[in-house]
Amino acid sequence: MAFGLTLLGILGFVFMSHLVAEPKVLFGRSLTAITPSLFPKLVLATMAVLASMLLYSLRGSLTSRESKTFEDGALRRVVMLFTVMLFYALTMEPIGFFISSALSMAAVAWIAGNRSLFQIGAVSIISPIGLYLVATRGLAVSLPELSPIEFFYAGIFDTVGSFFGGAEGPAQ
Amino acid sequence: MIEHFAEGALMAFSLDTILMIIVGLFSGMLVGALPGFTTLMAMAILLPLSFFLDPLVGIPFLLGVYKGGIFGGSIPAILVSMPGTGAAVATSIDGYKLTQKGESRKALDMALYASVIGDTFSDVFTILMIFPIALLVMQFGPPELFAVLLMSLVIIVVTSGSNPLKGLVMMLFGLWLAQIGTDPMGGVERFTFGIFDLKSGIPLLPMLMGVFALPEIVYAVMRNEKVGGFAKLVGARLSMAEFKRCIPTIRRSTFIGTAIGIVPGLGQVVAAMMGYSAAKNASSHPETFGQGEVEGVAAAEAANNAVNGPTLVPLLTLGIPGDNVTAILLGAFVAQGLRPGPQLFEEQGAIVFAILVAMVLANLMFIVIGYLSIPFFARIVTIKTGLLVPIVIMFAFAGAYVFRSDTTDILMLVGFGLFGLLARAAKFDVMPMVMGFILGGPLEYAFGQTVAMAGNSPISFMFTERLGMLAVLIATPLIGYALWRRMKTATN
Repeated sequence: MAFGLTLLGILGFVFMSHLVAEPKVLFGRSLTAITPSLFPKLVLATMAVLASMLLYSLRGSLTSRESKTFEDGALRRVVMLFTVMLFYALTMEPIGFFISSALSMAAVAWIAGNRSLFQIGAVSIISPIGLYLVATRGLAVSLPELSPIEFFYAGIFDTVGSFFGGAEGPAQ
Repeated sequence: MIEHFAEGALMAFSLDTILMIIVGLFSGMLVGALPGFTTLMAMAILLPLSFFLDPLVGIPFLLGVYKGGIFGGSIPAILVSMPGTGAAVATSIDGYKLTQKGESRKALDMALYASVIGDTFSDVFTILMIFPIALLVMQFGPPELFAVLLMSLVIIVVTSGSNPLKGLVMMLFGLWLAQIGTDPMGGVERFTFGIFDLKSGIPLLPMLMGVFALPEIVYAVMRNEKVGGFAKLVGARLSMAEFKRCIPTIRRSTFIGTAIGIVPGLGQVVAAMMGYSAAKNASSHPETFGQGEVEGVAAAEAANNAVNGPTLVPLLTLGIPGDNVTAILLGAFVAQGLRPGPQLFEEQGAIVFAILVAMVLANLMFIVIGYLSIPFFARIVTIKTGLLVPIVIMFAFAGAYVFRSDTTDILMLVGFGLFGLLARAAKFDVMPMVMGFILGGPLEYAFGQTVAMAGNSPISFMFTERLGMLAVLIATPLIGYALWRRMKTATN
């Protein structure tokens, strides 16, 4: 962590000119009292110095083998859990809130140690429906949704289009 | 002015106003208690509803949502360490520890009483002091604001974790994260790497949920713990002796919150952290803080709720919203044809006082509603243990999405969750990072304005700006001493 933040501070400071756009100039004068890169430079330079000091102060503990934070089996579950969360994040919009939630919740429940298929099924189906109704009907906010009928027709049109070799995108 | 107050008080006691305050309180608590759903979101969603109501009904309704939501946010913070808002972060430190010790009922009782007392006092204070305070704040310039923000950050670093150097580095990382996006002063892009979604910066909500909630869930799963096992409303209620022991803490935090609420841009997060730090420093047993100390809950809740009243001072007197929530309230005022500012007191003084009196009324009703409904709202997070993890994840993901209807926010949630987990594993406290992120924008803005004001002679400017100079002179040795003491303790 300390090494990563040291690296971030140094790289950010060195490549500042590429990471921060030039300030806007009107009639040869800057529009602001401080340049957009001044505050980031102060922050990143200080961070680089302090993080390297921290790295130096922690050198003893870094070389010694500390007690393991996670057990091997638990670490595997962490990786699985984050994989499922990433899947959930990436699929919520393309396949809709219902399907992505149901699949992800079932997987998370399984990873969390629940082995009751009835409970897993009930939670992963009922909860997304309940939340969807509360959000869209009660709070009037939208969640990603995909009409199964639209999805079905889009698939047919795509297949027909590709069969005749004409259409490249979804049918309009 | 007395005539305006009397007229306003009578106007506030209408049945419609009282009913809509109750609806607002209940709605706010419901949304606040749902992990991932925030008071801000509830207010933004319900704002259009207030347009169709009378100003004396619509605005108190939104204030009810605000008050209910702030307290509601402390319910998941205490039960599952999932603060829906920054204001509840400090509450979760000791609140969740109390839950782990099987004393969640006590923690929630304390949170309710401290919230109501802090809020009521600050509202009364607001009514009494709104005119003189307006005059005082008008003298407050960017140098003073910069000094106060800087002081807040340093205090947070000092009070977080055992190694202040780690806290400092994390705070600086948070400050850097706040700079991602479009520069508020120059309007140029910074650290966006050409990614369109980063132009508007990193949203706060996915960050909060990511660094605080996801690691907690992951740890529970890893240890095969059941989150819901802690998330039960159990244990004895708060005793009178415990409440009496917390009165000095509540009083101190209420003063801190009230003072911070007056300053635009600071808000509940700073108030809660400063209230918590002050309580810890003043305590004869500071080692119990962070280990499930009921005073810690009282300190944070009284301070963050005491901000509610005074935060309306800059809004009502100058038309400047102190935070996101008051910005929504400003929208409600304008939509009702009421333009906050000095003229409002001359033209619509009775309505202003009616709204302020309605705030006090809301608190009195809140203590009854809160007391009766805590068990109901606690059930939202007391679902059977093994089933809670997937449900909490779904709420977090849906909550992160609905804020801006953007899937990038969900990816940020996962990213910050991973960062939070790594930080926790490496024994880095994420609190200074979050505070650096929240205060980074206002800090840079105040810094830029200070530099602009100073011109070519910053030293002489510093010594001619009396308040700024005073703040820096008082803060520097205190902070230096506190940092030194903290570092010494850490090395021992």
